[in-house]
Amino acid sequence: MPQFLKDFFNRNGTGMGLAILGLVLFWTIGLIILPQLSMLDFSFRPNLPPPEIGGPKDVYTLENYKYLIYGPEGGSQDYNTVDLRVFFRTLVAAVCVTIFNLIICYPIAYYLGQSEGSHIRIFAIMLIIPYWINEILRAFALRIIFGETGVLNTLFMGMGIWDTPFDFIRNDIALYAGLGYAYILLMIFPMYNVIESLDKNQIEAARDLGAPWWRIHWRVVIPYAKPGISSGCTMVFMLSAGALAAPQILGGPSSLWFTQLIYQQFNDNNDWPQGAAYAIVLLVTCILFVLAVMRLFKVNMGDIGK
Amino acid sequence: MNNSFLRISIWVYLAIFFLYLLGPLVIMSITAFNSSGFPRMSPWECLTFQWFGELFQDQRILNGIKNSLIIGLGTVVLSVAMGLAGALMLTQIWPKLRATYYTIIIAPILIPGVVLGISTLVFWDRINRMLGLGADSFLSNGIFLTVIGQSTFIASYCMLVLVARLQRYDIALTEAALDLGASHAQAFRKILLPFMRPAIASAAVLAFLASFENYNTTTFTFGEYPTLTIELAQKVRYGITPAISALAFIIVALTVFFALLNEAKLKRQKLVAAARKNATVEELAGKIKLPSFFAGNAAAVLVVVFAIATITVVGTATAYDPGQCIADVREQKQLEAEQRIQQLREQREERRKQREAEEAEQGGAQSTPKPSNNSGFGNVFAPNSLGGDESESDDGSSEADPAPSNNSGFGNVFDPNSLQNDD
Amino acid sequence: MSAGVGVDLEKLWIRFGDFVAVRDANVNINGGDFFSFLGPSGCGKTTILRAVSGFLEPSEGKVLIGGNDMRGIGPNKRPTALIFQNLALFPLMKVWENITFSMEIKGASAAERRKRADELLDMIALPGQGDKLPSELSGGQRQRVAIARALCAEPDVLLLDEPLSALDLKLRQHMRTELREIQQRVGITFIYITHDQGEALTMSDNIAVMRAGVIDQIADGKTIYNDPNTAFAASFVGENNVFRGKVKQVMGNEALIATNRSGDLVARISTANQGKMKEGDDAMMFVRPEAFAIAPDGASGDHFVTARVNHEEFEGNVFNIFTEGEGGKEIKVSIPNHGQSFEDHTGQNITLEYETHNAVVVPAGELAAE
Repeated sequence: MPQFLKDFFNRNGTGMGLAILGLVLFWTIGLIILPQLSMLDFSFRPNLPPPEIGGPKDVYTLENYKYLIYGPEGGSQDYNTVDLRVFFRTLVAAVCVTIFNLIICYPIAYYLGQSEGSHIRIFAIMLIIPYWINEILRAFALRIIFGETGVLNTLFMGMGIWDTPFDFIRNDIALYAGLGYAYILLMIFPMYNVIESLDKNQIEAARDLGAPWWRIHWRVVIPYAKPGISSGCTMVFMLSAGALAAPQILGGPSSLWFTQLIYQQFNDNNDWPQGAAYAIVLLVTCILFVLAVMRLFKVNMGDIGK
Repeated sequence: MNNSFLRISIWVYLAIFFLYLLGPLVIMSITAFNSSGFPRMSPWECLTFQWFGELFQDQRILNGIKNSLIIGLGTVVLSVAMGLAGALMLTQIWPKLRATYYTIIIAPILIPGVVLGISTLVFWDRINRMLGLGADSFLSNGIFLTVIGQSTFIASYCMLVLVARLQRYDIALTEAALDLGASHAQAFRKILLPFMRPAIASAAVLAFLASFENYNTTTFTFGEYPTLTIELAQKVRYGITPAISALAFIIVALTVFFALLNEAKLKRQKLVAAARKNATVEELAGKIKLPSFFAGNAAAVLVVVFAIATITVVGTATAYDPGQCIADVREQKQLEAEQRIQQLREQREERRKQREAEEAEQGGAQSTPKPSNNSGFGNVFAPNSLGGDESESDDGSSEADPAPSNNSGFGNVFDPNSLQNDD
Repeated sequence: MSAGVGVDLEKLWIRFGDFVAVRDANVNINGGDFFSFLGPSGCGKTTILRAVSGFLEPSEGKVLIGGNDMRGIGPNKRPTALIFQNLALFPLMKVWENITFSMEIKGASAAERRKRADELLDMIALPGQGDKLPSELSGGQRQRVAIARALCAEPDVLLLDEPLSALDLKLRQHMRTELREIQQRVGITFIYITHDQGEALTMSDNIAVMRAGVIDQIADGKTIYNDPNTAFAASFVGENNVFRGKVKQVMGNEALIATNRSGDLVARISTANQGKMKEGDDAMMFVRPEAFAIAPDGASGDHFVTARVNHEEFEGNVFNIFTEGEGGKEIKVSIPNHGQSFEDHTGQNITLEYETHNAVVVPAGELAAE
């Protein structure tokens, strides 16, 4: 038995040690690693009816990935423009949502992190409460507001700002507002945690040296809060790119989200390998993108989730 | 001068921010009490509680709640256990493996929920086939798959909550217990577990809420057991009714209530600890008078106010009958609608004449305009009239645009656009 | 004194990877002794304690308690109780629950436990405090609760890991006496870990002086103070003036040392090194500050040192004179205060003398860091 395991069992006892080790192995291998590998494997296989699985036709193929790029064989177009466009639009939109969230959340996180008083706790509760409400219901609430006869249209038409209802849904405004809304907390909390630990004297010192407020943020607060900012941005980006409920409820007819394509492959077309391939593409692209951005801003993986 | 300007702008910003955050929830809650068939605040028709009644008669919603509770319970147990084991492992793993291990157990938070759902489904389907079990086996059961799929990432959340507390745990306490003769299991149960209890409670609540509201993963794994969230999504996608607002109102109210209750409890614990600190030995032995729940505890007072308000509302609801008001509104609407239809007919007649004249000029054959929604009142209660079906059209082409783009419950009657639609 | 259970370490080695924490320790601790391991932090004394209590398996060698080999026996099965450096009182349990935790494990009823807790609380002079939480007690009270908790388990050997280090000076001195009293009352073996020589000297029957994993000397306090085996033991325990040099001549149990800066001086060879030192060896001679006396001017010989007084301090019971000998050699002298008139020597040259049997010679070696 290697020394590490020996120490582990010495420290935890045999029974407890086995329980801990068993649960951890079940989680990491049985729930995280193997299913992902299984999905990867699956994405390289043709879509076969159950009796033929494992049969002679069950060979590895790149067909499912080719489909995303070139579309159905013998299709009318050279490239699968529809799916590819959805894919890139999803990524771009997720980036936009992330930036939007960062901009609106930074002042709040800074304010909460640097102020004192009992009202801060109340603000914190007010922040958390929406997050406890079902994701679907949050989207539903926004749909009530952005609907054609919704609160906003009624309000603006009543004020005479515009005289025909503005279609927020078709213009994707509802969708972006909904995605931003859904992940505000995930953006604020990591930033708040870091900024709260920033010594107020540093800001005082900078102010004392005559730095204008924007320079204080640029040179003192933001560099310090970088782990929190990157943590929040990573989570918001990954979750918006992988969102399904908000696009389904708030998305306009002309704006499909990539996850919706995956959903369709699974539920409507019953083509699991194709759906798995799309899921792999989404996962890998998102991870590579996040890693690239983290490299660009010199952030460590270990900072995420803190 | 500069300072006060800054302060004012901060408060304005905060106000706008929280309006964005809480406004939708407030508006949604209010729509639950409007008798209008489409969830809206204006025009306000009648105060009604009928949507709550409708909600509680909806078998699918009730069944969804039941499934959600079962799955939530399973997920709480599994993910808290795995999260605790994962956290314990993290504090004592071989340093060289630590970074890799941390990456693996934190990854599920970042993996899109859809991907987790799919991988769970694919993996257990394969295991099921390898074991030669049928499609109705335990491994392809919706509840099992959903619990497994959700726990994959919820355990990571639990782990983060638990490890934060575990880092403040002094391992010497466990050693002291062992030294005094406890077995490892006893030391765990009597020392570590009580220490971790607050964090375990937070993790359990977090896990339950995360499970209860999960959609992305569940939508692939639920099988025969749709959860409340799945049912809600179906409803919201294919037509929204104030019954959903009613459900939302209940959830919002419960959330606020428990948030305040928790706050009050924390406050009380603080007060009790302070009181104990100042108490003399005799007071401690003779069960000192602890500060009452409400002393200096604003949150506790709010909880009570909240509870009383709820009771009042429920009381009113049983006594109040909005029937007359609804009838009045209906009558008025009928009148308006008829008026409108009359107008519409006239206009259309006029236009038809105009067009006929144009067509006669061009000699082209134009089909007659599609009968748009001219039944006035008819579609109000049709669940499909809300445009939800349209958002499902996946090709995203905008050619289908001129079709009824209206998702209001009242059809096109009040839509000024409707008059130009046919152009 | 009741014959308690003894502890023996036989050829004990403990390694962590390539690092040797304990090197070939051989110790016999008699039953009922108050035995201290004394050494600077990081010298391996806590490691030995953990090996005795069962939290560590030795890499080589044996731990015997009452003559029984403890290999493979876990901490919860050993007849030892450990008092942790930070006490490790269970923060969520009341004082009485803390004290009787070992009884709870054995399934004793609450009434029984309550009764025993009250007895022990009386013993540690904290009657009626059983319902408090540990966080509501003062440092010294917590200290005593930790002792009561360990004693409640009725161990054969009580292990104490620097339990007084967190207390302030006054309390620490008070607790020394109290610990010693408790030990004598219960009559079990105490093994005490400390880096504070004052604690070790005042409480212990026997002391092991440790340096970097090695035990330099095991003896009672008086022997260690007056007759150290090594340069380290001489410099770590109590204050000492060191004179480096070479052995010039061995005369029975005495040696003439050619010191580097203070001329030829004579001293007694420490007992463990008698017969082992020969001419030409590097040696160190140690003279305690209180072993010096001021000699009449002009006196000279092989037990006289001349020095110039830098400054003086009055400490109450002693006058401290800080002098500088030839070549910048610093020498500290303590003259006991028994009411004599004392003139200020600052800036003057004085001659110091010592009695040969109060100076000790050991082979040159590592000194304790200041």
